[in-house]
Amino acid sequence: MRFFKKTNIDFLGKRKIWYIISSIMVLIGWVSIIFGFLEPGIDFKGGTEIVLTFPQKIEVNDIRVSLAKVGMGTSEIIYYGGENSVLIRTSEQAEGITVSDKIKNAVQTAFPDKKFEVIKEDKIGPKIGKELSLDALYALLWSFVGILVYVGFRFKFAYGFGAVIALVHDVSATCGFLAIVGYLAPGLNITVSQDVIAALLTIIGTSVNDTVVIFDRVRENEKIYRSMPLFDVMNRSLNDTLSRTVITNGTIFAVLLILLLFGGDVIRPFALAMFFGSICGTYSTIYVAGAFVIDYKRIRNRKAGLVTA
Amino acid sequence: MRNQLARIVITVCFVFLSIYFLWPTVQDYNYRKDISQLTGQDSIAYLEKNHDEILAAKAKRVKLGLDLQGGMRVVLEVDILKLLEDLAKNKDDNFHTILKEVRTESAANEVSIIPLFAKKFQERGIRLSRYYGSIRDEDAKIISMLEDETGKSVDRAIEIVRNRVDQYGVSESGIQKQGGRRIIVALPGVKDEGEVNSLLQGTALLEFRMLKDPQISYKVMQSIDNYLTGKLETDTAAETSASKEQKKEQKKTKDALTELTGGAAVSESDTTKEAQFAREHPFFLYVKPDQQGTGEGYVAEKDKDRVVRLLDRPEVQRIIPADLEFLWSAKVQTFRDGQKFFVLYPVKRTAELTGNVVTNAQASVDPDDNRSIVNMEMSSDGAREWARITGANIGKRIAIILDKGIFSAPVVQAKITGGRSRITGMDSPEEARLLEIVLKAGALPAPVTIIEKRTVGPSLGEDSIRAGLNSTIIALLFTVLFMILYYNSSGLVADFALMFNLLFIIGVMAGFQATLTLPGIAGIVLTIGMAVDANVLINERIREEMAGGKTLRAAIDAGYSKAFSAIADSNITTFITGIILFQFGTGPVQGFAMTLMIGIIASMFSAIVITHIIFNIMSEKGINPNFG
Repeated sequence: MRFFKKTNIDFLGKRKIWYIISSIMVLIGWVSIIFGFLEPGIDFKGGTEIVLTFPQKIEVNDIRVSLAKVGMGTSEIIYYGGENSVLIRTSEQAEGITVSDKIKNAVQTAFPDKKFEVIKEDKIGPKIGKELSLDALYALLWSFVGILVYVGFRFKFAYGFGAVIALVHDVSATCGFLAIVGYLAPGLNITVSQDVIAALLTIIGTSVNDTVVIFDRVRENEKIYRSMPLFDVMNRSLNDTLSRTVITNGTIFAVLLILLLFGGDVIRPFALAMFFGSICGTYSTIYVAGAFVIDYKRIRNRKAGLVTA
Repeated sequence: MRNQLARIVITVCFVFLSIYFLWPTVQDYNYRKDISQLTGQDSIAYLEKNHDEILAAKAKRVKLGLDLQGGMRVVLEVDILKLLEDLAKNKDDNFHTILKEVRTESAANEVSIIPLFAKKFQERGIRLSRYYGSIRDEDAKIISMLEDETGKSVDRAIEIVRNRVDQYGVSESGIQKQGGRRIIVALPGVKDEGEVNSLLQGTALLEFRMLKDPQISYKVMQSIDNYLTGKLETDTAAETSASKEQKKEQKKTKDALTELTGGAAVSESDTTKEAQFAREHPFFLYVKPDQQGTGEGYVAEKDKDRVVRLLDRPEVQRIIPADLEFLWSAKVQTFRDGQKFFVLYPVKRTAELTGNVVTNAQASVDPDDNRSIVNMEMSSDGAREWARITGANIGKRIAIILDKGIFSAPVVQAKITGGRSRITGMDSPEEARLLEIVLKAGALPAPVTIIEKRTVGPSLGEDSIRAGLNSTIIALLFTVLFMILYYNSSGLVADFALMFNLLFIIGVMAGFQATLTLPGIAGIVLTIGMAVDANVLINERIREEMAGGKTLRAAIDAGYSKAFSAIADSNITTFITGIILFQFGTGPVQGFAMTLMIGIIASMFSAIVITHIIFNIMSEKGINPNFG
């Protein structure tokens, strides 16, 4: 089977339009991070998160009423998995584990005849949250540095920059996407947890993987078509690798979609971030990394031209 | 063709290694399946029969993370300010104000506490010697003393927690130090929170208890043995078919017992006699009484849980006198021949003295003979009691017990007045240091607070495993079918390599004793997707080369060599992010990074080497692979 015969698509001709679209996506991401539309999970905020499973269906509102009696009515309460389980999340801090005990006692008093099971319980101190945020930031920055150095070393520095800018784009756009999904579908329980950070870093990995494959073809084609302008070489290489791009990324999207649909509640935010991020990564290889290299060279050549003239 | 041979040899080696590493996991799975089918007495008998094999398999199987098997992960932090408060003398209002200020400031930001604490005093022109050390000490000296003290307190807290977790019997627990003053405790399978809190946070109980008279101890052990003889008929019958290793041990036990039993019924190297011994002495089969007549029993490391089970039987408990208790050595010991064992001590049920009378302990070296010693000081009340106890028990042994684990049982040499004792007989400076930590645990509790706690209920763990397995299988099926559909027989070859890839990933994880976590499963699923990439690159390249007019054989070789740089570069960059993820992530995220990195290496190998072998074999046999 073969999806593509030899193609000759002008991918990069309309890159200006895509620049605008990319910028908007990045902007949405940054706005959602800076203005807090992207909800940090208790991993970063600190607090207590507890999932209780009841033998039968339970009303979220009843739980809220029972918690209000102990002054915790403002806690976030959502269904978890099915309607038998509820997730209760609060950023309230106390010494020891008294917050979760308070929650459990309050629920038990309100429903003395319903015996629930604690499925999952996380308590994160405020300091840990801060450190995790810092660690996540460092991880992102170091991976950028690592990739900049490696790609710059194996190719040229312009390529390294292009790759890293594409990565910044992917991470920002994914954050924006998560914020929007979290807003539209609060039931999905999308918060930035450690797993989501892991997803962002993996997106970096897969996205740069894609970028490098195409840069590799550019490197090879530059040697074959010595007189061809970079713009055409880039387009040529994108066409050469198009089949691979579609097959590989198609497979990865499908696998992630499977993870998203069948992977269970715990893994869902991770899979969602990965899914969108991978799509972004494929797109950004062409319209961010590739386009950046072309325009960077063009501007440099123009400047060089001015100097020599 | 030399290349081809090398490739095949390497592949076969990897396959065998992977299977070798995975074997315990398979065994463990089978054992557990067998046990779950048996009930009551049958399952105990089965457990007893295959005891050693089950333990060995369990120790080497692929470990499941807390998120998959359920359990708790707790991060403790030593409360340095509380410690500073406990250490200080003559505390006044100034002191408390400063302490409070430092507490608020350090809660908001990550700062080094002691320098901040010292700075506050200096700003107000108060000398630290007012609260710590002696009056003429410089601030700098006191600061370094405090730093030292807090450093030691973390070690103490770790030792206390480890000791308790060991006593509590959590299997596969993990305790590690993180940074300067944090302790991460992983408790798989534990769900009772109340117990965990007391396990981790309560004050440690240090006790001094007298050892019971050896004669009495022997008698009690004898009657336990006699009692069990009739009761354990079924269990010990199973023991007849025990492994050679066990027989050797039985022999040793017999040697040890020759003295005790007057040589009766012990003649060597006769299997039926050994079986008879096992039948007649079910307790002494595992508990080897000390030959010097100290009243202790030695129990091989792997037999400890057996003996615990025996001792826990209510009938056995009834045999043990009310004022005697069998306690275990806190640490596993090693005989000269390398055998690992625990010591079972017979101690009095009531403590002579508890550890709060200990004011200081210091490991050091005896200048006369260079042996490790520990100096211990006691408060004046304690010293008075201590003088009475030691005076009345010269020549007897007194056990130093922390939370029911015995760390040392020195012999009282003389009546100790004045509260200064010297404990000798340590084999190494480490042993002395450990004893110092233990003794201080009574004197200066290391206050810890729980700053992070994650609990996963076992049912969520099961759900996660099921969902993870399901999605892995679906993803695998999809990928396999798609590859065949798109690339024909060469797709089949790629699928074949993918199977090896999965075997390698799990094999390497088992070999590294890595822990499989939920994100780790996601990592494997993702690797399936990415493993395909290398084959896609190669196959696309071969198609291109064939379209360019090359013969099949030439196209395959060109395809592999030209695709290599793209595969290598792209995988290395992904690997770099894997390393960084591993470096900065914690717990499950590290598990994910680990699987991702293993997956990258395994998939590069299987996609490049294994498929190449197959294509070469095919072309030798004259079968032309179809690239679709």
